[in-house]
Amino acid sequence: MTEKDAMKMIEASLGKLKTDEMIAHDTVVSGSLPLLGPGSPLDSIGFVAFLTDLEERISIEANKEIYLVLNEISEFNINQSHLLVEQLARHLVKVSEEK
Amino acid sequence: MVITGTSKGMGRAVAEYFVTKGYRVVGCSRGAATLALNGYSHSQVDVSDERQVRSWIRTINEDFGRIDVLICNAGSVQSALLMSVTPGDVLQTFLHTHIAGTYYVCREVSKVMIRHKYGRIITVSSLGVPLHLEGTSAYSATKSAVIEMTKILAKELAPVGITCNVFSPALYMTDAAEAMGKEWAVRLLEKQTIKRTVTVAEICNVISFYVSPESGPITGQVINMGLVV
Repeated sequence: MTEKDAMKMIEASLGKLKTDEMIAHDTVVSGSLPLLGPGSPLDSIGFVAFLTDLEERISIEANKEIYLVLNEISEFNINQSHLLVEQLARHLVKVSEEK
Repeated sequence: MVITGTSKGMGRAVAEYFVTKGYRVVGCSRGAATLALNGYSHSQVDVSDERQVRSWIRTINEDFGRIDVLICNAGSVQSALLMSVTPGDVLQTFLHTHIAGTYYVCREVSKVMIRHKYGRIITVSSLGVPLHLEGTSAYSATKSAVIEMTKILAKELAPVGITCNVFSPALYMTDAAEAMGKEWAVRLLEKQTIKRTVTVAEICNVISFYVSPESGPITGQVINMGLVV
């Protein structure tokens, strides 16, 4: 999986949330889009639903059980609670390649 | 309906009750299944093990597509000692089973429920909390934490139609309660307002109330059976 593939997966999860009416508007995904913190299109509950959907997608894609744990994302500082699409995409690539 | 701690005691009886009422019940315990009923399936899971809980709930979601009700019952009972002589291992057992176990199971099930914008989460506390029972410092402290985390979860999940409530059963005779001795049971009954043991039907009546569609506005509440607080 490339970082571009990971961003497409993030886009698909955000699209699913829109379909499920968990977010109000379509989201234009870019690397600098915040998923958590100021400027994010997701509220707290929306972020949980987003991560859960993404976990399912990447587990299917990588054909193994993958859990997305925030403090395992090397670029995420839990005390600042700020996460960008590009940071999560890099993490997705990493966990999908782990044996 | 997902119920933890179903190999014995109250959890087993509650699972059996709801299967007979037509629920599809998925239970777990650290040991093997002791219930063999149509409509019941069992997994061996240690609820204090985060990875095991994640994997178990994911499997349930894959098999059934949703979880409507969670009864977080798994718990531990050990002989009552004054705090001054309670070993650290006893405290650790209660911390792991009651706090971590309830936390992990509620967290993973809530993710499934959020996607369906519906759910009923019920946790089990103890009359030891409002009674401040001597000899239960570790047990009741962790059961008090269960109430607090349930109330916070109730606030967090209210926007998506998920309710979270607690009940504290009055004395219900299980093997674990028997093992505590008759004198202990008599002393506990003396402290209850309604001085008798409760039946599984009475316990399940409280659960059914929380589960009922008409209980949508009931969240973050604690029902203490047999006790005026």
